[in-house]
Amino acid sequence: MINLTVNGKTHRLDVEPDTPLLWVLRDTLDLKGAKYGCGIAQCGACTVIANGAAIRSCVTPVEALADADVLTIEGVGAKGLSKLQQAWLDHQVPQCGYCQTGQIMQATALLKDIPKPTDEEIDAGMAGNICRCGTYVRIRAAIKQAAGV
Amino acid sequence: MNEMLSRRSFIAGSGALVVSLSVSAAPVFAQGAAAKLTAFLEIAADGRVKLWSPTTEMGQGIHTGHAMLIAEELGVPLQRISVETANPAPAFRRGVTATNPGAMSSGGSWGMRAWHVPLRKAAAQARAMLLAEAAETKKLPVGELDIVDGVVMRGGKAVGPIGAFAAGAARREAPAEPQLRDKATRKLTGTRQPRLDLPAKVKGEPIYCFDMEMPGMVYACARLSPVFRGELQDFDAASAKTVKGVTQVVALPGGAAVVANSTWAAMKGADALAIRFKPTPHDKLDSATISANMKAALGSAKPAVAPRADGDFAGALKSAAKVVEADYEVPFLAHTPLEPWNAVVRFNADGTLEVWAPTQAQDRLLGAITAASGLTADKVTIHTTLLGGGFGRRLRDVEGVRDAVLVAKAVGKPVHYFWRREDEIGQGWYRPAQMARMKATLDAGGKVTGLSFRAAGTSMVMDFAAPATPIQEGGLDGSSLQSIADTRYKPPALLLEYAMHREPVPSAPWRAVGSTQNGFFLECFLDEVAKAAGKDPLTLRRELLAHDPRALKVLDVVARESGWGTPLPAGRARGLAYMESYGSLCAEVAEVSIVDGKPKVHRVTVAIDCGSIVSRDGAISQIEGGVVQGLSTALGEAVLIEGGAAATRNLDSYQLLRMPDAPTRIDCHIIESGEPMGGVGEPPLPPIAPAVCNALFVLTGKPVRKLPIVLGA
Repeated sequence: MINLTVNGKTHRLDVEPDTPLLWVLRDTLDLKGAKYGCGIAQCGACTVIANGAAIRSCVTPVEALADADVLTIEGVGAKGLSKLQQAWLDHQVPQCGYCQTGQIMQATALLKDIPKPTDEEIDAGMAGNICRCGTYVRIRAAIKQAAGV
Repeated sequence: MNEMLSRRSFIAGSGALVVSLSVSAAPVFAQGAAAKLTAFLEIAADGRVKLWSPTTEMGQGIHTGHAMLIAEELGVPLQRISVETANPAPAFRRGVTATNPGAMSSGGSWGMRAWHVPLRKAAAQARAMLLAEAAETKKLPVGELDIVDGVVMRGGKAVGPIGAFAAGAARREAPAEPQLRDKATRKLTGTRQPRLDLPAKVKGEPIYCFDMEMPGMVYACARLSPVFRGELQDFDAASAKTVKGVTQVVALPGGAAVVANSTWAAMKGADALAIRFKPTPHDKLDSATISANMKAALGSAKPAVAPRADGDFAGALKSAAKVVEADYEVPFLAHTPLEPWNAVVRFNADGTLEVWAPTQAQDRLLGAITAASGLTADKVTIHTTLLGGGFGRRLRDVEGVRDAVLVAKAVGKPVHYFWRREDEIGQGWYRPAQMARMKATLDAGGKVTGLSFRAAGTSMVMDFAAPATPIQEGGLDGSSLQSIADTRYKPPALLLEYAMHREPVPSAPWRAVGSTQNGFFLECFLDEVAKAAGKDPLTLRRELLAHDPRALKVLDVVARESGWGTPLPAGRARGLAYMESYGSLCAEVAEVSIVDGKPKVHRVTVAIDCGSIVSRDGAISQIEGGVVQGLSTALGEAVLIEGGAAATRNLDSYQLLRMPDAPTRIDCHIIESGEPMGGVGEPPLPPIAPAVCNALFVLTGKPVRKLPIVLGA
């Protein structure tokens, strides 16, 4: 049994310890916001926040997170849209949307570390998150709005 | 799943009105009898409107665009409309003629240009029926009634909400030729409106096929032949069952599916499975061989098919003061929608079959489903989910859905069948690798007197249409000369040829299809010609388009808005390209520098004449996305072939563009010329790669003749 805290709630889980967090979230806890895109930490669609840092849940075994505090997109928006989510709507960022929860989680971690990022810091901070529809220009604008830069 | 629940609760509302587009003899069904689904609109008693869209929502915003048409023409608030993609039925098919039943499919940038008129008409029919019902029940003159914000109005006074008249209206005959609203009164279409699907997307709601759950569902991970078109030889099921949670291994034509009680167990089981594939004749095929084959076809003495030969190109060659000649090449490209192929299949107790799938081609899927299940089409329902990207890849998936059905049949439970990224890329159906040999002849004054263009490569159309054979072996694949065969450029002599050399690597339409490679080929070559003629690239294009005011305007707008010809900081240059595809004329200017030996794109200016637009922000986002995706192909994308398989199977080796390489600015200038509506999903893509390469040509003095760009190559 593994204890896992997700969005403030602790779960006792009977899952194989090597199961990536992504599949625990999606299959066991029915939190579908984090997405499977590549399975090798290259696209960022599975991004969630653990202990304040953005991680790729597709390659993080759940056993490594026994005492961690995990935040997913469902937790970010639990009490109404976050500033970033609202900025995403204001700039009409998503197209297909499949990568966007990962983008928002990555941006959430970025602004926690660097509240007023420069253009270069935004590009560097978001470089691990692929958007195949090509919404990068709008993602940048939404992050800047949320950061007030 | 939310979508299913919302649909069920919606239908539970009484008094649904269904309007059929096949107005001839089709009766208008009340709710219940509406199961035939030859319908676009349902109106609930509470006034909510459901639109059954003929088009897949894969990120292009088409559902919002369609809803805007309905909202305006019917007279209801946009936010009161919910949209789902319809199950295939005659009303939703394109290309219907007396002899062709047409097909329901979302490609070719048809979503708006094919449907804006039929959807307006459907809404006008619904409005007429509602007003007729209101007039009769309230004993009012119908000519004095209208619908405003979902309420039937007479003068400035409310008669009643439309929901109150919906059930009665549904029993009325739809007028064959309903009166559309006066164009001058249109206030919604052409404006920026928030997309209906975005709140769910920023909240991470379960809206994709990969998010589907249903009672009793099991998970099935594919393990397929990495060699293209490879077939299963055998496997040892016990090897997969060593993984906890794996219950079964199902044989498939091209491999196997490992069935388990969780996604992760299915994936681990697929890795653990000992499996062998039959040898193929192309087990040693590689990229170098494919390139050599194309090169040979370019130079082959065997006459290529020539769909167009204006003037006398041979004569132009003889009398030329100068001849410019170059060979260009592009690789196979993978679509890489971020959601890998997956489908949920459920055989129901009543003998029906339901399939949830991220598809762009409902009728192609339906054919594959009926073939694999043995059921007739009337027993099959396809639920098209929102797609995690399409780009043409989801036009195919014949094998993918067949396999999903085979697994569900073997397991006897609802199945979520999925590919991993390696199969999403590795199973093929790429934008084909192609080469082109181009020649231009110049007279002593630097005027272009002739142009020849010979394309060579595998045939996308033959692959994609198989087993149908719309063209003969060695015949003309129109996609290989797409946007070239009908170019508005008018040199005195124009010779176009195509030499087919088929490869076993399966190819398919990829966003903007043949225009992707042909934009790069022709538009980069024209800059080589301009340099040889001592002309500005804009001047050369204006000369070749001097007879065509519409095309000249697109060039002039992009030149003006980009500051063409004005000074730039040192180390920065502009490149221009123009291409017409899918009914829209598009020109782009890229401002480029070289940073750390790599191209850096600062600003892109786009001018597009797509006739008219419905959803302004939808169009702009498609332009931005097309530019970024096209830039991605210029900078990094290539499927490398080794051992008859893709060597670049995941996103570590298949390089998609990331944020640091995205342009700083993309400025869109939409020209609403009033010409017939063109597409916006694909046309913005072809000009960007050549625009960037042409800027690099200015910076380095060396033309880029092969993608992706390798500076110093």
